[in-house]
Amino acid sequence: METMNHLIQIKNLGKTFKDFWYRPVIEAVKDLNLTIQQGEVFGLLGPNGSGKSTTLKMLLGLLRPTRGTIELFEGLRPEDVAVKARLGYLPEVSHLHEFLTPRETLMYYAALFGLPQVDAKRRTKELLQMVGLESVADRAVGRFSKGMARRVGLAQALINAPELLILDEPTSGLDPIGCREVKDLVRLLAKSGVTVLMTSHLLADVEDVCDRVAIMNKGERCAYGSTRDLLRNPDMVRFSVSGLTAEVAAEIRLQLEQRAARPVQQDFPEMSLEAYFLKVVSPDANNTAFKVAPFLEKKQ
Amino acid sequence: MLYLQQSLAIAKATVVESIQQPIAFLILASGVLSTLLVPLFQFHRFSEDGRLARDSGFSTMMVFGLALAVTTAGRAVAVEIRRGTAAAIIGKPVARSLFVVSKWLGVCGVLFLFWLGVTAATLLAERGSSHFILNEVCTHTQHGADDLCEPSGYIMDTLTLGLGIGGVLVALIYAALQQFIKRRRFGVHAFVGITVSQGIIVGLCGLYDRTGHLLFLIKGSPVFVSDLDWRILPVGTLVLLALLIFAALATALATRLQTGATFALCVLVLLLGLTGDLLAVQTSLLSVQGWLAGLLPDIQHFWLCDVLAQGGSLSWGYVAEAGLYALSCCILFLTGGCLSFANRDLG
Repeated sequence: METMNHLIQIKNLGKTFKDFWYRPVIEAVKDLNLTIQQGEVFGLLGPNGSGKSTTLKMLLGLLRPTRGTIELFEGLRPEDVAVKARLGYLPEVSHLHEFLTPRETLMYYAALFGLPQVDAKRRTKELLQMVGLESVADRAVGRFSKGMARRVGLAQALINAPELLILDEPTSGLDPIGCREVKDLVRLLAKSGVTVLMTSHLLADVEDVCDRVAIMNKGERCAYGSTRDLLRNPDMVRFSVSGLTAEVAAEIRLQLEQRAARPVQQDFPEMSLEAYFLKVVSPDANNTAFKVAPFLEKKQ
Repeated sequence: MLYLQQSLAIAKATVVESIQQPIAFLILASGVLSTLLVPLFQFHRFSEDGRLARDSGFSTMMVFGLALAVTTAGRAVAVEIRRGTAAAIIGKPVARSLFVVSKWLGVCGVLFLFWLGVTAATLLAERGSSHFILNEVCTHTQHGADDLCEPSGYIMDTLTLGLGIGGVLVALIYAALQQFIKRRRFGVHAFVGITVSQGIIVGLCGLYDRTGHLLFLIKGSPVFVSDLDWRILPVGTLVLLALLIFAALATALATRLQTGATFALCVLVLLLGLTGDLLAVQTSLLSVQGWLAGLLPDIQHFWLCDVLAQGGSLSWGYVAEAGLYALSCCILFLTGGCLSFANRDLG
């Protein structure tokens, strides 16, 4: 795994915040080592203050590491402007110019990437359609709800059709339908070859979409590996069968207990609250999910 | 080419964001109105009503412009760093130094719009203020009657002043209607509307004389006579150059300081800069006084209202030289700003 195509390589990374007198105040990240491969969806998990956002900001060149190195796209440094042209970033809070409209915001970010006017207009239109903000495209974003601002933030992160998408708490402020749409979008983007690095403290979100995860706590990496490997309990086996009568189920359980020589736990699987919510609120949720903007699909 | 596109985009967004702020609109509206109202409240004229109106206009330009430069730079840089908007831009392929310079260009754009409005208002205020007019011959209308005889003495051009003040009100009503009907930005339309209204009235006031009579109705009179003191322009341009220096200083300081501290330091530099001539006289370059004189912008180079007294004027050649000096000061301050911002943690 380590010899594969590395998109991000972090070695012994550390960040210590200092006060006005340059005295160390807090060590936000301690000796972090991570490798993220091309095309994977990687989740950075951890409680508040664990150093996730600090790590992302160092990856973007917004914060300078106190120790260690970061390499992106095989050998480039985060401060390089060329690196930033290849990535998209959704901050934890969608920092938008409150007097600009979503259309103006996307055109503004398109100009920062040097997109020609025609392409910028086309991508803006497609992205506004994708995130469902076409009807409010000319209203100032300062009046938007947090969820709507989040959608604008997501659209601006994709305006340059990035190779690497960095999402800081992407589902924060979104309703369950919005969360589902974002997760579907992440999966679709990953299928089209985009590498996604996301942070979240909503574990279900990460579990649904991430191929690999790292868990951070107090600035240190506590766990690291594929989601499936980390969550698998090799001592436990679960069978799921539908349509059994009570008698047959009791017979099977008895046989299992005899063979395993241990008590067997029996339950009735429940759907997740998210799935139930979507079933009630939006029965055709599969049809309302984000449709990836055509200019992003072309990469496939 | 990419740098130019990025720079224009950031500067444009800065202008739109800044003039949308209530404080920017208030500074412009109060600056224009106070300039236009000065001639109406002069009680001790000493035959120098025009000069008082001019000087008042220049002072308004400098003081209100300084306040606008600092608040705009503070909002465009310090507040954006605190709110995270700056991080969102630096997260794109935008060099940090380009960000600082583009923000300064945006602040300059706001100051230029402000300057246009206040300069036009100063031209109108100077024309509107009382001037001694000696009517030796009565003018004749097309009807042939001597009905335009005016008494000799001080005559105030109240029509021009009224139009100027009315222009501000019309701009506000226009902006309010734009906001109400088309949901367009009030601040932007009000700010630009006030500036445009003053410009239009500068053009219109050439169609009538100081007593308010339309020129095309007066026999033998040219249809258009501007009758404005255009000597105001080069002197006003010098004030604009000084404001651009303060915009560069405020932008540089805002990369590390909040608006209050930036304002205090800019006022200190203004006061020390006004003593620039005194500092530079008979000092060694190695002394503290000499260093201050060398590093601080000498504001005396940009404050030459007195030149206009008693019929004097200022050459555009001097303005060009002052422009080069202002440019060197801006480069010095912006370099400091870029260095200060280069290693600043964002987010």
